[in-house]
Amino acid sequence: MALGADRYTSRVDTLVFLGCLGLSLTAMSLPPAWRDPIASVMRQTILAPLLQLQRESELLRTSRSRFDAITAQRDSSALAATFLPELRAENERLRGLLGLGQRLASGYAPAEVLHQAAPTDPLALVISAGRREGVRPLAAVVSPEGLIGLVSTVDARTSIVVTWANLEFRASAMAADGSVYGIVAPHGTEGPGVWLLELQGVPYRQLVPVGTPIFTSGLGGVFPRGIPLGTVIGVAGETEGWERTYLVRPAVHPSAVTHVMVLLGARGGGDLRNAFKTDTASIGGRTPP
Amino acid sequence: MRRTDKYRFYFVLALLAALEFTVRSRLGDQRTAPDFLLLALLIYTIRTQPGKAAAAGFVVGLLRDALTPASFGAGALATTVVGYLSAWGKAVFFAENLFVNACLFFCGTWVRNLVIALASGKLRGGQLGWELLVWSPLQGLTTAVTGVVVLWVFRRWVHVRVREA
Repeated sequence: MALGADRYTSRVDTLVFLGCLGLSLTAMSLPPAWRDPIASVMRQTILAPLLQLQRESELLRTSRSRFDAITAQRDSSALAATFLPELRAENERLRGLLGLGQRLASGYAPAEVLHQAAPTDPLALVISAGRREGVRPLAAVVSPEGLIGLVSTVDARTSIVVTWANLEFRASAMAADGSVYGIVAPHGTEGPGVWLLELQGVPYRQLVPVGTPIFTSGLGGVFPRGIPLGTVIGVAGETEGWERTYLVRPAVHPSAVTHVMVLLGARGGGDLRNAFKTDTASIGGRTPP
Repeated sequence: MRRTDKYRFYFVLALLAALEFTVRSRLGDQRTAPDFLLLALLIYTIRTQPGKAAAAGFVVGLLRDALTPASFGAGALATTVVGYLSAWGKAVFFAENLFVNACLFFCGTWVRNLVIALASGKLRGGQLGWELLVWSPLQGLTTAVTGVVVLWVFRRWVHVRVREA
């Protein structure tokens, strides 16, 4: 043992370590009513410059992508740049957002997703739009492919989005033709079906074919009607003679999005089916394991 | 050590913190991109005492938790443990060379993610398996490689030996 062990393991060090552990456990056990204001104050004070830095960086990346796209159209020497997969995907996503914005009848606020390094990042995202942009709690957050989640906490310039991957997420859903209604929730964490959704509570007699697009139904008044949630890929389970649960491949994975739109219109109002891409193949989206 | 050396050391840590919020989002998949903030913490723990390392880990973790509310408190717990064990382990067991430091960065990242995943209770079953066996090792690897580059480039500034004495 140990070179300098005595010097490096003083009683003070141990006490500080135990104190920090105690404070961490206290933070973990705080109820949301106490936890959220503390986190909000930290985001608006000590973390504000860093979040601003990240926001500017994302804006810079977006501007650069647009500039590269324009340059590529005008200058054949930049043609190679358009074949970079990441740049093409970025441009496609931004064009999709612009198109979606024009099709949406209600107001919206565009925002960048400020991804963090923690493994729980896909469950709750930080986005760069807040109270100043008109974002309110429970507002729907969408991408051109479909629903990402809903706003849970709003700060001055940032917001927290609870994504569909969060175990507490629920959305009233329906099939594309409105023939089947149910509740969409995360499929859970067991087996190979992680990062999938499930359509629960479908009456046993109503069969939902594989490939059926699933949209929000607008019931409950939280999400507007017609936002794509995903595509049915099979039966997850059934209660004999009572109801079936279907597996749904999400329209979009939270860790794959870089830009989103927060819907600012009246909650639950309007039918947005025509505003989103309608081909089911695109609804299938990327679904990392 | 000259006074300017101390400032250089903290400049490197500040640079890593800035990289976390500027460059990281451009480095591909967020689950495997290097964690510059954790790297700064681990480099700090190499040179400091376990108590200070635990306190620094707690502060960094709590700040990170404010940005990932799905696991509030779990990040603070994880980085406190990683900071303390890193500083203690470096003093007690580890020789100082580049490979050992790389292993420290890799293990620090993996253990941090393990503690967050377990303490938050949000990841279970298949999700936990993928996180611990695929994404965390990849993130640990990229963080370790980045750490080696940082230590090599700034070896005179951070005063970490890159060859065994």
